[in-house]
Amino acid sequence: MSTARKQAGAELLEQLGKSGYGKPPLGCMQCGLCAATCPLGSAMEFPPRNLLLQAASGNLDKLLESPSLWMCVACYACSKRCPRGIELTESLWPALRDAAMQRGIQPPAELQETFQNVLKYGNVLGKSPRARLDWTKSLDVRVLDLSREPRPVDVLWLVGCYPSYYPRNQVVARAFARILTQLGVAWGILGTKEKAVGECDRMFGEEGLFETLVEDNRKLFDKYDFGKLVVLDPHAYRALQNFYPRFGAWYPAQHYTTFLAEYMEQLRPLMVKPVETVVTYHDNCCVGRRCGCYDPPRELLGLISGVKLVEMAHNRDDSLCCGGGGGGMWLDAHIVAHGGQRLSDQRVREAADSGADTLAVSCPYELSRFEDAAKVTGLEGRVKVRDIIELLAEAMDLGERSVA
Amino acid sequence: MITSDEELRIGVYVCHCGSNIAGAIDVEALTKFAEQLPHVALARHYKYMCADPGQELVKRDIVEFGLNRIVVAACSPNLHEPTFRRAAEDAGLNRFLVQIANIREQVAWVTEDKQEALEKAEAHLAAAVRRVAQHEPLQRQFVRIVPRAMVVGGGIAGIQAALTLADAGREVILVEREPSIGGHMAMFDKTFPTLDCAACILTPKMTAVKLHSNIKMLTYSTVESVEGSVGNFRVKVRRKPRYIDENLCVGCMQCIDGCVFTKAKFPNAFDQGLGLRKPVWIPFPQAVPPVPVVDPEVCLQITRGKCKQGCVEACGERNAFRFDQQEKIEEYEVGAIIVATGFQAFDPSVIPYYGYGKYPNVYTSLEVERLLNAGGPTGGKLVLRDGSTPKRVGIVHCVGSRDANYHVYCSRVCCMYALKLAHLVREKTDAEVYNCYIDIRAPGKGFEEFYNRVQNEGVRFIRGKVADVTPVAGQGTTAEGGLVMQVDDTLLGKIRQINVDMVILAVALEPRADANEVRREFGISCSAEGFFLEKHPKLAPVNTANDGVLLAGACQAAKDIPDTVAQADAAAAKALMLIDAGQIELEPNTAWVDEKMCSGCKTCIALCPYQAIRADEERKIAVIDQALCKGCGTCVAACPSGAAKQHLFADQQVNEELEGLMNYV
Repeated sequence: MSTARKQAGAELLEQLGKSGYGKPPLGCMQCGLCAATCPLGSAMEFPPRNLLLQAASGNLDKLLESPSLWMCVACYACSKRCPRGIELTESLWPALRDAAMQRGIQPPAELQETFQNVLKYGNVLGKSPRARLDWTKSLDVRVLDLSREPRPVDVLWLVGCYPSYYPRNQVVARAFARILTQLGVAWGILGTKEKAVGECDRMFGEEGLFETLVEDNRKLFDKYDFGKLVVLDPHAYRALQNFYPRFGAWYPAQHYTTFLAEYMEQLRPLMVKPVETVVTYHDNCCVGRRCGCYDPPRELLGLISGVKLVEMAHNRDDSLCCGGGGGGMWLDAHIVAHGGQRLSDQRVREAADSGADTLAVSCPYELSRFEDAAKVTGLEGRVKVRDIIELLAEAMDLGERSVA
Repeated sequence: MITSDEELRIGVYVCHCGSNIAGAIDVEALTKFAEQLPHVALARHYKYMCADPGQELVKRDIVEFGLNRIVVAACSPNLHEPTFRRAAEDAGLNRFLVQIANIREQVAWVTEDKQEALEKAEAHLAAAVRRVAQHEPLQRQFVRIVPRAMVVGGGIAGIQAALTLADAGREVILVEREPSIGGHMAMFDKTFPTLDCAACILTPKMTAVKLHSNIKMLTYSTVESVEGSVGNFRVKVRRKPRYIDENLCVGCMQCIDGCVFTKAKFPNAFDQGLGLRKPVWIPFPQAVPPVPVVDPEVCLQITRGKCKQGCVEACGERNAFRFDQQEKIEEYEVGAIIVATGFQAFDPSVIPYYGYGKYPNVYTSLEVERLLNAGGPTGGKLVLRDGSTPKRVGIVHCVGSRDANYHVYCSRVCCMYALKLAHLVREKTDAEVYNCYIDIRAPGKGFEEFYNRVQNEGVRFIRGKVADVTPVAGQGTTAEGGLVMQVDDTLLGKIRQINVDMVILAVALEPRADANEVRREFGISCSAEGFFLEKHPKLAPVNTANDGVLLAGACQAAKDIPDTVAQADAAAAKALMLIDAGQIELEPNTAWVDEKMCSGCKTCIALCPYQAIRADEERKIAVIDQALCKGCGTCVAACPSGAAKQHLFADQQVNEELEGLMNYV
């Protein structure tokens, strides 16, 4: 190997050390806690520890060509536990993926398709921007589309790709619209102008595409007068909270769970209908493990009479990932082809073991991932997957029931 | 005060400090600058002012040129103010007519630009010259030192320090929070690397403490407050009631048999809760003093006021029980205090992935020490919760240590005690033992040899930090059955699952939960991780920033028994040095009251943090005790009539210093 190549690895790590994402990776003591923690580590040719070691030693060639480079699902478990405080999830993995693509190494085809979708249509599903408002068609509350009717609002709600287009998630979007209206919040959306926030693109290593999205979104957001951004997607929340400010794009943003938790007292008297069910809550990785926010979702569920909350064996810091982050949403086939398991299957089994009949979630990816997993594991009848928003809307007796 | 007939003649000396100062500041220019300042009779610069020739220069000039004030522009006054004060005194000048301008730490080391550095040094120098012109001769003051020491904490550190002081013929008060002295060491089975039985080497020392005529042992007691200062501390000690008269009890333990509770049913904290005890109990058989203690939370006589009192009956004519005993506060005067309050074991239940507190067969190392100890809850048998003998044991290193999420520091003893536990497990059972480590740290005398010995005994070593401890699949989450440790075998480059039936967590040593309150009471600081801070990490390892308060053992940092004992002896020597001096010089910067100006309003009395001021009701003035005053200046600032003044900090002195500084900024 050439000296230049060797240096490239060390330089990459040095740069990462200065990027402000966690402690410098050069401080790694090779304890392997990350590798053994990684839910897909056993299937990886280069699990996190080895990834860092090889990069530091300059052995980039094999590393960047390895399928394991595309197996991280951004569960943040390695970063959270790292005894040296090294940020692997948001720093090392995206940087190496970026380096791979700069060398012309092709990521798995499914990912390339997703990039194309975002690039062409501004959403991960490859749908027409004109169809962005389809979810509002059967809605019984007024939707303020700021792009047509600009006026000051307290909450600018970024609906998100899945809630805008995917039928299962559209139900949740409508329920959230009803809840916001019931609470008397002055809210608006960006209508057909809304674009993906781009978290997944950055985590894939598509730094260039991500920067373009930040610029586009900044121009868009700056046109309107709003108090804060509220999102349903925890990944979007993480991007707005931590990635956007690095480009000077700072907007107050909240995930809907923390946003609604501020309305506890207003919500309490609105809970008019008991929902008799045993619920276990799945902590999503971004708002949960990454940001350490565990109580608001549980407090919201606790508002609903009839709900009995139980915990899965792994919860909070120690929660298991659904496998959908960091591009994982589109990488199931790739991961399984290389010896990994579908993490959502494991999680649904754990939900069933907890004695719950409802698996409550707070991330648009998780609904379909866990519903698929319930089918695959034969638990379909036993564990229902529902977003917290759906459970709240039911307890508030706000129309449409879950299609699940 | 400058009298009109005395001409001020100030001598200024600029030190090069090798190149420390001269490399950053133009010392010749600075000297020239000094020469033109008012009242400066002569100015010189010299390579090393603190060296003998430098001091000689000052002495000679005082005599030859009749200098009556000295300014030395050099390093921090913390370092050489005493040196130049002594030099001045040797030449017949009052030692307090010397002022230091700190141009090293405050200028040379922190100012890159040479011109800027010169200007800054000039300002410091001018300030010192103008200040020293206002200085007055002061008398040196001394106070008597109480020839007695207090040792706080009765673990191996406190025991060793107390015995050393007592053997040197000094009186010692030993305060211990628990019912018995002995500390953590008394819990251990064997000690590394020599494998001596902990009790065999510790209990003779514990007994020696009890029998020593120079040691007053206060067990089941805590320090309530500390007042005074070096040489004259007044310490209040809170003595919890045992409900048994220590002087009458002979340690026969028949009361424990006699207790109406026929079975022990309360967790024994000394056994880490693995063993049970009765309401009247003793932590371990060799406890010192061998006096049981009654737990007021569960004793029927105390909680309900009604009991058959089998204990009292068993005690018989020795008649040692005192159910009416009350907590009391005793006060002791001591000249020096050795803080030896030790550590606590890290609670691993905060790490979710090791399952401590969730899976019954995950233990802490301290729990296993008790299981291995012949005096422990299983009589020295290493067994699982269900009574069976483990066949495969996993030891997880660095639990809570070397981890940015818990403690970043290395706890220093865990590798060695983990090796010891591995050896003892192999000795007592046929179990396979797996030590999962990051690095084996064995840098002490005989340590590496012990590591090698344990390797050769067949203990398996896996280089990797364990990531998960989970029950064997299909057993549910609370099963008492087998466990799996998931670990990246970093040498093999393979993620492995190791099946074991017992997991031992080698937990960190951490500062005690109340360390912060304790350090405040003793007026000392702590380092970032919470251990008590020594005065200097290399050159004053047992002193603290509070004179007269010394440190020994694991309260200062995680350390092993040999180091603890060495540090305890060092602290004892320092305490001895202090109290044997008989007297101690006070700092001269004390406050005093100008009697003519004092209106007797008493404002200062309530504000003084050292209780150094009292009211003279007859003369209607405040009087400041020079031995108690620490020169904090609170009364001076608060006095509404300007009667409270402070030596070396008179208004004029401070104002002149500021003027000098500001003129050149």
